[in-house]
Amino acid sequence: MNLVKDPATFVNVFLVGLTQGMVYALVALGYTLVYGILQLINFAHGDVFALSGLVAFTVLTNLFGVDEASSNAISAVAIVLALAITMPLFALINASIEFIAYRPLRNAPRLAPLITAVGMSFIVQNIGLAMYDVNFRSASGLVPHTSVFTIGDVSYPWSKLAVILITIPVLLLLTWFVTQTRQGKAMRAVAQDQDAAAIMGVNVNRTISVTFALAGALAAVAGMLFLLQFNMRYDTGFELGLIAFTAAVLGGIGNLPGAVLGALIIGFIQAFNEGLGWHSPGSDWTRTIVFGILIAILVFRPQGLLGERTPEGA
Amino acid sequence: MSTEPEPEPERRSRVDDVTRRLRRQSLTGWPLATAIALLAVLYPTYIMSLQELETVGKYFPSLGDSVIVVVFTMMAVGLNVVVGYAGLLDLGYVAFYAAGAYTAAWFASQQFEQVTFHFGAVGIQPDVTGIHLSIWLILIIAGVFTTLVGILIGFPTLRLRGDYLAIVTLGFGEIIPQFVRNADNLHGFDLTHGTFGISPIDAPGFGETLSDSLGLPASYQASFDRDRLFYWTALFLLGVTVFACVRLRDSRLGRAWIAIREDETAAAAMGVPLMRTKTWAYAIGAFFGGVAGAFYASVKSGAFPADFFFNVSIFLLCMVILGGIGSVWGVILGGVILGWLNVAGLATIGTDLGIEDVPKYQFGIYGVIIVAVMLLRPTGLIPERRHQRELEEAVSDLPLYDAEHDASLGRGGEDRIRRG
Amino acid sequence: MADLLLAERVRKEFGGLIAVNDVDFIIPERSIVSLIGPNGAGKTTFFNMLTGVYTPTSGRIVFRGVDVTGKPPHAVTELGVGRTFQNIRLFQHMTALENVLVGMHARLKGGIFRSIIGTPGLRREERQASERARDLLRFCGLRGRTDALARNLAYGDQRRLEVARALATEPVLVLLDEPTAGMNPQETAEFTGFVGRLREDRGLTILMIEHDMKVVMGISDRVTVLDYGEKIAEGAPDVVQRDERVVEAYLGRAATA
Repeated sequence: MNLVKDPATFVNVFLVGLTQGMVYALVALGYTLVYGILQLINFAHGDVFALSGLVAFTVLTNLFGVDEASSNAISAVAIVLALAITMPLFALINASIEFIAYRPLRNAPRLAPLITAVGMSFIVQNIGLAMYDVNFRSASGLVPHTSVFTIGDVSYPWSKLAVILITIPVLLLLTWFVTQTRQGKAMRAVAQDQDAAAIMGVNVNRTISVTFALAGALAAVAGMLFLLQFNMRYDTGFELGLIAFTAAVLGGIGNLPGAVLGALIIGFIQAFNEGLGWHSPGSDWTRTIVFGILIAILVFRPQGLLGERTPEGA
Repeated sequence: MSTEPEPEPERRSRVDDVTRRLRRQSLTGWPLATAIALLAVLYPTYIMSLQELETVGKYFPSLGDSVIVVVFTMMAVGLNVVVGYAGLLDLGYVAFYAAGAYTAAWFASQQFEQVTFHFGAVGIQPDVTGIHLSIWLILIIAGVFTTLVGILIGFPTLRLRGDYLAIVTLGFGEIIPQFVRNADNLHGFDLTHGTFGISPIDAPGFGETLSDSLGLPASYQASFDRDRLFYWTALFLLGVTVFACVRLRDSRLGRAWIAIREDETAAAAMGVPLMRTKTWAYAIGAFFGGVAGAFYASVKSGAFPADFFFNVSIFLLCMVILGGIGSVWGVILGGVILGWLNVAGLATIGTDLGIEDVPKYQFGIYGVIIVAVMLLRPTGLIPERRHQRELEEAVSDLPLYDAEHDASLGRGGEDRIRRG
Repeated sequence: MADLLLAERVRKEFGGLIAVNDVDFIIPERSIVSLIGPNGAGKTTFFNMLTGVYTPTSGRIVFRGVDVTGKPPHAVTELGVGRTFQNIRLFQHMTALENVLVGMHARLKGGIFRSIIGTPGLRREERQASERARDLLRFCGLRGRTDALARNLAYGDQRRLEVARALATEPVLVLLDEPTAGMNPQETAEFTGFVGRLREDRGLTILMIEHDMKVVMGISDRVTVLDYGEKIAEGAPDVVQRDERVVEAYLGRAATA
């Protein structure tokens, strides 16, 4: 595939990568926010994402009763309303997970919360399994797959534009929150130095809860977007979680713009690897490539692309 | 430091050492371990009667299921060296299991039908194609091969910090089974026979000569006592693993592992080479994982990719956590409990409680166990000796030292400390 | 007297911050040298470079004729440098005896196979190691504490254990990082005598970071003063004590005005 010889396919794949990268970015931000503040890899985050997508399905189908037959306008409204439900719900769920499983281990040796996170991941997965069994769910019928525009052989479907339309405002909101609000500044302070922040009067516990809630809300958005494009089931989060985490590390763990950058890069890599014939992440080689990237970064440039080198030693 | 002239160093007699060690032993030391070992070895003799008991009979697993429990327990003991002794969170142990299994598959099946090479194989006709080595030999080869795989994986991985190490081992734990599933066409060469796996795999045995002279079974497969033989061999392998691990724990290397676990920087400052020591832990874990994998492949007479998936690593981790991280006996207990749940317990309990499909949610249950243990009793069911001491000393009200006689305690003081 | 350790224009930068600025440093054999300076002067950073925890940004460190610049910590220890830590870094869940045994790691040979089999040679080595460890504990005033968990020891005993552990590495040069921090005057006096004994009885060379001037003045052959990563004075204790720049560094300009 070549920009020169076959520009149309190239651009199409580029757009696919861009779109998928945005979904990864939302999940990667969740990982990086939590890692920045607690130095913890929240293994359960990918599964929270998957569960949110499944729950979004239930909300859309059972609560609002929309399906392929519904008009676009109604579907759009339903999607926004569903987000209004799943975002707070999963913000709460994610914050609860921190409160129940990670907070008691705040002062335990570093292995402990990590192991707990692994256990939590399976618990969340199995909740999804209990609720939805091994069936796939999808709401891709709700968004039209007709093209927004077509230039020559390049086409961009509405379904993918919807991703951009939803993600960009979310990212802008997040940026505003982190840089302009007091809570956002508190988050950055706690991420830099927990004790100093506490001395300055920051309520560390509340800040951590807010961070997890934020991550949960972002995961819910990602879950909805994924649901609208592909199908998902209880274990979709494992794969995607690892890809998103790699993206966060690639960009520089703890660095928010880095997470977005890393996610876009991985989105592109995956798209170019799988071409246009893919319908959901996780072909065999993709997984191996992503892990290869992860290992390479951690060995050769652990601070990622945008992260800062921390001093070695004691 | 003491300002008095140094007193003469006490001559410690052998008797002193022995009494000191005996006093540290509680009732639950060797006698209990021997009793349990005996119960385990004799299990095949009384399993039938147990299973006939009313109500509880069905909870006792069959011999075939028991072999699975013992094999996984063996792997858990291996994982304990990595996670428990050295403190390295390995989430990809299944890679070693797979490596061992496929080693057995390569050297004891018809996979490489291009050649015909027999050496010590039992129970098959000499003209059968493929490589067929003695299973006993293969166990060692599998151990060594898996150790090399472990060292290879460890090279980029073990220099990483705890959480990154976990994710990367997870990655390798994913890549290797992936590879195995897809390696049926490497430039035309079929290495692993893809998703079908490789089967059948030869069974162990002692061959005709030993059979005639010592009455040992010629071939397990052909034997009337097949299940028993596999079970006792599994127990033997577990015993070897436990023996080696206990010896290592109390050795210079074991101390180095714990020092690394406690404070890496200080350990390095004391002359402990970090990468080398961590690699040893990983290598030992790999070795026993490989042997277990090879043996199990022989038991099942096949190496199937479906058996090697990420969750297995977590299953083993749960055994270590539940049993007692760093404690061999704890891990054995954890292994037996979870192994039993996996092969028989969950299904039986489910039927009893009228809940369908309990085994389907087994990993959720293991997740709950992991979280519950970490929150409520992180040292596990049988805590490692050091943490046991910590628990004991914390509740004792005898002071550990006497502030008044600081730095000049005589023998009396020593005894006080020991009792406290 | 030969130079045991030679540091040439050693420099350490962390990003934009220069922690140690082209410092030259010599430690003669069997001497007791003190490294002093206000907090943040770069003393521990310098220590960390000597022991291999940090790699110098530039410069060279030569120990016993061997270039150890950038060697990993365990290699430096193997060559004969032992150290204690400013904030005690004992192996908390190991006993005093075990802590000291870890210190002997590089000097013991018990390998993996011999350990599993349990050869008589290995058993003998372990027994002798335990004996030596007990002797060391006794030498450092910890008789009777051998089986106590490090975390349960009194503060003073923990400091002594740190020294015992460092001595277990069979060093030629011992680096003590603020060894008398938190000690009362009597303990400090005892410790000063102990350091002297380390040199006299065991032939060791000592480099100390210290804030307690009584210790520094009482036992040092030579004192080096760091401030903002630079060497500002060096010489006999009483000379350095009167040096204007040193007083200024500790007390500020007003003190000398």
